[in-house]
Amino acid sequence: MPNPPIQSVGTTPRPHASLTATLDRIAPTRDERLFLVLSIFIGVISGLLVVAFRIAIEWIRLLTLGSAPHGGQFRLLFVPAVAGLIVAALVIWFFPAARGSGVNQTKAALYIYDGYISFRTVIGKFLTSALAIGGGHSLGPEDPSLQIGAGVASIIARNLNLSRRRLRMFAPIGAAAGLAAAFNAPISAILFVIEEVIGSWSAAVLGSLVLSAISSVVVARWFWGPEPLFRIPSIALRDPRELMAYAVLGVFGGLLAPVFSLVLGYLRPRLRALPRWTQFLQPAVAGLLVGAIGFFGFPQVMGTGYDVIDQAMHGQFVWQILLALVFLKLLATTFSFSSGTPGGMFAPTLFIGAMLGGAVGAFEKHFFPHLTGTIGAYSLVGMGVLFAGFLRAPLTSVFMVLEVSGNYSIVLPIILANTLAFLISRGLQPVGIFEIFTQQDGLDLPSMEEQREESVLHIEDALQPASVPIIDGSDTLQAVSQAISEFHATACLVRLMDGSWYAMSTDELNGAAATLAPDTAVQRALKTDRTPALFPDMPLDSALHFFPRWPLLPVLNRASRGTVEGMLTLDDVLRCYRGSE
Amino acid sequence: MASPQTGMAFTPEERLARRNLIVRDAVSLVTLFLITAIIFVLTLLLFRSFTSHRQELGARWKARGEAALHGGHPGVAIEDLRSALAYVPDRATEIELATALADAGKLQEASVYFTTLWESAPSDGTINLQLARLAVKQGNEGQAIFHYQAALDGAWQGNGYDRRREVRLEMARYLISGREDSKARAQLLIAAGNAPDDPAIKLAIAGLLEQANATQDALGIYRSLAARREPPLAALEGAGRTAFGLGMYRLAEDYLSRALASPLAINLSDDEKTADRNMLDTSLHVLLLYPSFDLTPRNRAQRVLAIRNVARRSLSACMGANPTAPPKLPALVSRWGQLPSQITVSQFEQQPNMEQTILQLAYDTETAAAPVCGPPTGNDALLLRIANNPSAVDQQ
Repeated sequence: MPNPPIQSVGTTPRPHASLTATLDRIAPTRDERLFLVLSIFIGVISGLLVVAFRIAIEWIRLLTLGSAPHGGQFRLLFVPAVAGLIVAALVIWFFPAARGSGVNQTKAALYIYDGYISFRTVIGKFLTSALAIGGGHSLGPEDPSLQIGAGVASIIARNLNLSRRRLRMFAPIGAAAGLAAAFNAPISAILFVIEEVIGSWSAAVLGSLVLSAISSVVVARWFWGPEPLFRIPSIALRDPRELMAYAVLGVFGGLLAPVFSLVLGYLRPRLRALPRWTQFLQPAVAGLLVGAIGFFGFPQVMGTGYDVIDQAMHGQFVWQILLALVFLKLLATTFSFSSGTPGGMFAPTLFIGAMLGGAVGAFEKHFFPHLTGTIGAYSLVGMGVLFAGFLRAPLTSVFMVLEVSGNYSIVLPIILANTLAFLISRGLQPVGIFEIFTQQDGLDLPSMEEQREESVLHIEDALQPASVPIIDGSDTLQAVSQAISEFHATACLVRLMDGSWYAMSTDELNGAAATLAPDTAVQRALKTDRTPALFPDMPLDSALHFFPRWPLLPVLNRASRGTVEGMLTLDDVLRCYRGSE
Repeated sequence: MASPQTGMAFTPEERLARRNLIVRDAVSLVTLFLITAIIFVLTLLLFRSFTSHRQELGARWKARGEAALHGGHPGVAIEDLRSALAYVPDRATEIELATALADAGKLQEASVYFTTLWESAPSDGTINLQLARLAVKQGNEGQAIFHYQAALDGAWQGNGYDRRREVRLEMARYLISGREDSKARAQLLIAAGNAPDDPAIKLAIAGLLEQANATQDALGIYRSLAARREPPLAALEGAGRTAFGLGMYRLAEDYLSRALASPLAINLSDDEKTADRNMLDTSLHVLLLYPSFDLTPRNRAQRVLAIRNVARRSLSACMGANPTAPPKLPALVSRWGQLPSQITVSQFEQQPNMEQTILQLAYDTETAAAPVCGPPTGNDALLLRIANNPSAVDQQ
């Protein structure tokens, strides 16, 4: 069975071309101004919806699983299964685009559907994710929040007839707002959207990203208060030698992350390949399995697990329990996510990371009691470690932990452990989890990790020594002709009094020689334009569009523009690109 | 929305379109604002009902957990307090949960929990006390004393004065159980110095001082209590008992007779009464044998002579029963031989030092004979009691 499309939009509504042209003429700055104003509205509405989304999850959890779920309660077995059945029916019959986490769906909206996310998708994501997570499935609310935010942005932008380019950029702005409200961490949300959705720093959207993220966090904090997502115990790195202990945690995280990716990457396509009728049952069966884990003594793996992360950070579990929770949560999340139940991967990743960190920290402290780092500190670093290793967002992982903890003194352990986890995980599993899902969905979205690591060619890569005569503007045409013939060159570089340069071809020289006296200064024969100022560190593609005009280009020294570092021809540039393939 | 561009000419249709666009954008933004306001109100209502429900759940689970903890069901309390913490996290509940873990015998979990709490509040008295108790259960003496001390120095909510004293007494009990009597005594003396004028507290401290072999200190507290207008029976008994232990038989006789004569003595068990009576009888017999300086010289001389006879008979019996007696005993025989064989009361008047010489020799004889010839009985036993601390017998 072919994979269903990630976004079911047969016809993507787009602003009519003639309407866009008219708008550009009668109100050329309208889009730009609306862009910023709407960013604030998007942030506020996304923040409100995310708050409502979290409350909905909690209400559903309270009503279905009770206020204190614990092992041995039979409802733990059947509630997630029933929730899975309802969610499956809703997704298959009403909200097909609500399936999955939300990150790739938002990327698809950006790169494929011109920023289009339907109102139905937003409603569907809200309802189905809330039901699934509240019903005990091992999934998180952050990725759905990201998609809800992106959807809100898309709906608002569409209704204001903004240009296609603007419309496309609204999705990541809303995504940042949704994620910021869910995490109560604006910087992390902005960084994640840049790292994982947009893929590059763009001044055009950065301002709007910040505005929307800040607005949504202000709204979220108005409701939840300024406290971070978790209560953070006291954290301090008193002895730099303890970095070794955190490095061990980084290594474990780096080894566990690929395991998580492999298990998900293995099970998900196999379940999706099963007959269509089984998709009604898959979330229910996954719910039953997750419920069984809860029923037999580990209800902590059910739902978002924020309270369990909080407990782990406050030393409420021994390392054996923490280790058990690592593997059981990994299993539970794999069942829930692979079955197509809507919900996110962020919270389970943080959960597993926190438990792993707590287990490693408690184990190390048991055998090396002189270590001063608290178990809470290890749990906190563990969250970042798995975030970096599994979700492959290293920068976000560092800032997320800093924002969540509000403690800068943890920065060294985080950077060390996260970097190790990221490098080890990437070495063992080169393809990141979002790319794996993208490939499984039959889409070809850009890989942000690959984009970040693409080597950009610079002018210095194609630079050749100046093999043409370099003459002064005051030299005569006759002298220039002689110099060119001596060099057997097809052009020369003319240095002018004001420090600018001119690349003169032999044809141009011959034309000038035919009309002007031989003792005429060559600068009098030049056209008014000048060769561009190019430097060795500039991107190679910046030189490309000058070649139709100039036979060759001088490459100058940044400290002394009168000094030529070398020259560049179209052949040199093309040879360089071919060589890099 | 858009501002007119300088020098840009619009056709009448474009001007109309521009005006319409501005109106439409303004309406859109106002609509957006209204939608935002509606979503805000709905979210606020949802949030308020949710938070009040959470508070209610948190309070309910906490009450159930506390009831279970105080009712001796720590296993139930653990689940309830965990649930309470999920809704309303606070330090007091965390401490209760950790206490429940410890009570339920989950020492490792409790230890980890308390350690984490301690790391965030190292000066919290309650947390340090619980950590000390855990260390006691785990047999970690160093950690126990460290945390007891930290609890004494730490901050306490409520009546810190009383809580510190309780911790100090608990620490003293732990030290006594570990035979660290001198350290226990130091703690108890501090506790006694800071204790309020509460007989129950002072009696507890005195009792612990007795256990720490600080009998003299205990006697001091008992005596101060016994000096009250309505002295507690336990104070009279304690004073008598400790005085008896210190060889202060005059005092013992005084306090024990008061104790047994007290109307409260009917509350004593038979064993306690018997023990008190035995001590009182012994004290009376000692006092009848003891040559007190309060006696007339003649009576005192007669008692010295009686003591001399008791000691000599004891030495002779011991030597006869143990022919291979250690050299100490023959030395004593030699010392007795250097004294006149017949001594009269009037000789004591002529040689005042002789009285003291005979008494010292009698004490040395009883002290040396007891280990060789077994526990003495009768007057020998009384004389040995006097010999242990002769100057204390008559002390007031």
